Amino acid sequence: MLKRTLLGMLAGATVAFAGVTASAQEELTIFWAEWDPANYLQELANQYTAETGVVVTVQTTPWPDFQTKAFAEFNAHGDAYDIVVGDSQWLGAGSVGGHYVDLTEFFAKHKLTEAFAPATVQAYAEYPKGGGKYWAIPTEGDATGWAYRKDWFEDPAEKEVFKAKYGYDLDVPKTWAQMRDIAEFFQRPDQKRYGIAIYTDNAYDALVMGFENALFSYGGELGDYSSYKVEGIVNSPEAVAALETYKELYKFTPPNWGKVFFLENNQAITEGLAAMSMNYFAFFPALANKAANPYADVTGYFANPAGPSGKQHAALGGQGMSIVSYSTKQEESYKFLEWFVREDVQKKWAELGGYTCNAKVLESSEFRNATPYNEAFYQSMFMVKDFWAVPEYAELLTQINNRIYPFIVGGEGSAKDALDGLAADWTETFKKYGRL
Amino acid sequence: MAVLAKLTSDSRAAARGWSDLTIRNLFIIPTILFLIVFNIFPLIYSLGYSFTDFRASVSEPANFVGLQNYRELLADPNIWRNFSVTAKYVIVSVGGQMIVGFGVALLLNRAFPFKGLVTTLLLLPMMMSMAVVGLFWKLLYDPSWGIINYALGLGTFDWLSNPDMALYAIAITDIWMWAPFVMLLSLAGLSAVPQHLYEAAAIDRAGRWYTFTRITLPLVAPLLLIALIFRTMEAFKTFDLAFIMSGQPTTEVIAIRLYKMAFQEWQTGRSCALAYIMLIIVLAITNIYVKYLNRVKER
Amino acid sequence: MAAVRTRSQRVFHRVAVAAVIVITLIFLSPIYWIGSTAFKSRAIATSVPPTVIFAPEITSFIKLFTRRVQLTKPVEPGAYEASPWWEKRIYDGGERVLKVGDSVQLSQYPNRFQNSLIIAITSTLLAVSMGTLTAYGFSRFRIAGEPDLLFFILSTRMLPPVVVAIPMFLMYRAVGMTDTHIGLIILYTAFNLSFSVWLMKGFIDEIPKEYEEAALVDGYTRLQAFLKIVLPEAATGIAATAVFCFIVAWNEYAFALMMTNRRAQTAPPFIPAQIGSGLTDWTAIAAGTFLFLLPVAIFTFALRNHLLRGVTFGAIRK
Repeated sequence: MLKRTLLGMLAGATVAFAGVTASAQEELTIFWAEWDPANYLQELANQYTAETGVVVTVQTTPWPDFQTKAFAEFNAHGDAYDIVVGDSQWLGAGSVGGHYVDLTEFFAKHKLTEAFAPATVQAYAEYPKGGGKYWAIPTEGDATGWAYRKDWFEDPAEKEVFKAKYGYDLDVPKTWAQMRDIAEFFQRPDQKRYGIAIYTDNAYDALVMGFENALFSYGGELGDYSSYKVEGIVNSPEAVAALETYKELYKFTPPNWGKVFFLENNQAITEGLAAMSMNYFAFFPALANKAANPYADVTGYFANPAGPSGKQHAALGGQGMSIVSYSTKQEESYKFLEWFVREDVQKKWAELGGYTCNAKVLESSEFRNATPYNEAFYQSMFMVKDFWAVPEYAELLTQINNRIYPFIVGGEGSAKDALDGLAADWTETFKKYGRL
Repeated sequence: MAVLAKLTSDSRAAARGWSDLTIRNLFIIPTILFLIVFNIFPLIYSLGYSFTDFRASVSEPANFVGLQNYRELLADPNIWRNFSVTAKYVIVSVGGQMIVGFGVALLLNRAFPFKGLVTTLLLLPMMMSMAVVGLFWKLLYDPSWGIINYALGLGTFDWLSNPDMALYAIAITDIWMWAPFVMLLSLAGLSAVPQHLYEAAAIDRAGRWYTFTRITLPLVAPLLLIALIFRTMEAFKTFDLAFIMSGQPTTEVIAIRLYKMAFQEWQTGRSCALAYIMLIIVLAITNIYVKYLNRVKER
Repeated sequence: MAAVRTRSQRVFHRVAVAAVIVITLIFLSPIYWIGSTAFKSRAIATSVPPTVIFAPEITSFIKLFTRRVQLTKPVEPGAYEASPWWEKRIYDGGERVLKVGDSVQLSQYPNRFQNSLIIAITSTLLAVSMGTLTAYGFSRFRIAGEPDLLFFILSTRMLPPVVVAIPMFLMYRAVGMTDTHIGLIILYTAFNLSFSVWLMKGFIDEIPKEYEEAALVDGYTRLQAFLKIVLPEAATGIAATAVFCFIVAWNEYAFALMMTNRRAQTAPPFIPAQIGSGLTDWTAIAAGTFLFLLPVAIFTFALRNHLLRGVTFGAIRK
């Protein structure tokens, strides 16, 4: 207690001192993960610098360490970063922990709930869900989609054999059942060809996001986001069916596919291994790049298929921009955000390569035709669903990984047992945090 | 005789330079102080928080919960599985490093052209960052585009996704990386063995095994044990390699569990408790090693 | 001076040397593969069977030093023609170099490399010198509670960095040492001291005390005996300790990541980040690793004679 007070006083003194010196030079630091969108943001921000003279630096760190570094700085009440482009799951921790600045007024003033696609506002900005309070500007929209080998699908010989075996035409799958059939059809290990590539990495959220694609489309839920009830929901028959399907798909993946995330799934296409591959849209530009992907010209994209009952959803990725409450340059940060949400800037953001969430830009035919995958992206952004955004989401993530990973990759137990155990785990966790 | 010499030298030294006492203090105290300052804060911080339910990601104050963290951790079967995985890993990788490292040192302990170059080359594996080594070996092990299966003609044998093989695969990478460490220390020790001892043994017609166990080993033992102590400590803390290369429960060593608890779940208090449990275990193991080292030195 | 060798000894010697060569080749093949990948073009980098004969290029090194992004639309022919040879290579790879105005934005690599050099060299010097002095003190003088003190020194290396990271980070933040060179230097010195003390003590213990005793009788001061007799004898130990401490400081990842940002961050957290969006660019990672390996390799090679010398005296043993 005493130590925290002392540290707090020290931090306060540093902040005050920094405040004195900061006014001399206009500089903003945005913190993001090390990937192309951060580079695009830097290019966009250079324009802001040209217009206003304020130097904006996008500072990055590799993805695996992004969360660690950001929260370490928050917990130390540090002012190294003025703006953070945080994961959608951080909203709970960021708002409840007092790390993010409340942007509700800002949203109202600029009518942002109408400017951005509604699903993105709820996913990237609102916490608690449905509570009407906003903490971040949707910056980089993202969802999971699918890439596939058009040439394999369009080969007349393949189409004939497929039709004979399964009774319907070989085409982009509209349901998960069809996707399973196609995966089985293309599973030819002796030819080094495999049916499908799915996420399996349990280090963070890859496996869970992959599973969510099945879960949400099958009509299942992770729980009730307002009442925190999970018993009977996360282990509902639909959820069990979805988990069983995901495990079945694991059978049709290339060998050694037990710890893969976006890199390997892209490699499944570039190395000509799989017929279909799941990945975040943010990583599809690499597939469209002829120098990186020898099959770029014959790679197509489709949005997450529907489940047996016709429901169709996609797992959400993406980040939103928040002002750090310990920043000493909050006024300057507000100005940057005001500039960023302008429609022309959002358009430029999309042109540079950023995945805008601005509704008008998304719907424009210009955007939808700009790349081979933008159409599927546009469709996905209106049906996205997210994981829990509560502050303890990481514990929930570890628990679901511990339950479904041994089942899917290790082949242990049954889907029902795994999900029943998960419901018990999560109930306990929510009780521990006083939500149930 | 020695006492007399010391007394005279002390008085002479006192006349001309620093006394033994000054030197002793000057040489030792700064280091000890430095280490205390640098370690005392983290140690006390961690110990203190291990008795609370503190979570660094929320601004709520820490509540004292006594030994609850420790009790929960020690009762958690997953934690025990992590420990047994770690134990297996430490034994396999450290054992492998010692055997390979010492073996290669024995082979190198003779004159041949370019000895310096070869020795430097053999040290290269440990000169790379663990994160990079993990990345590249993950690529090497891949059945579809990795070289190992190709070179050994293993087809699509699964190394890292295979629950049984994964730990050994990672241990092999670890051995590859750190055997040079053991090798260098062994070489230094071997070169220090006086040649005349070997000559005396040869004159006495001692067999190669006898020479090895009675002359070579005892003289190299102190350095070997230092290598063993440090490699064991490091293997116990191993995180990078296992984290990057595999995510199976069969390869989740305790350091990975600690990382997830501390930095993904932000259960700061609990992770401090786990760290202290680990510390106590390592202290116990190294204590045994050090006692053995002291006994070897006295021989 | 080798004794007269029997025939079996000669054969054994040849077999041993042959074994050394074979082992060296096998052991180093992954490293050779990493090094050669740095000079390959991206297309053949991960081919199986591995491409052994290829036209080397330095595209990967260009990538290492520039800040780039994927091309979202094909490059205009005019711009392509007007660009210098190295920029054309980047365009060929489906990327473009980020520019501010007309000047190319360099990546962080040169800065990080420089930081690595400063921090690793300084902390190694400190750790080795302090460690040698302390080891001598423990070896030659009777210290109260010596085994406990030594064990305490050993224990400073037992805590996993994960758990030490947060309190260290808070401590550093409170005194303003985050993102400074001196911060990391002190940290690495503290980290390496335990190993330095133990290893040097191991070497110094092997040096017979009789030499110093004789020198003292001859009128040397303790300090002079230390400098003139013990240090040269301990050269092997100093070289080995220096190499190991340098390697640790050079490759340290966890604290470099946590404690530093733009100004003082070293290279290790940077190299894996070369992964690039969506696809691993193994050539760039290999290039980064290759360049980063050079200083360590050169340093070790320079010290090779000291490392192998051993203790030349040794006639008197207890």
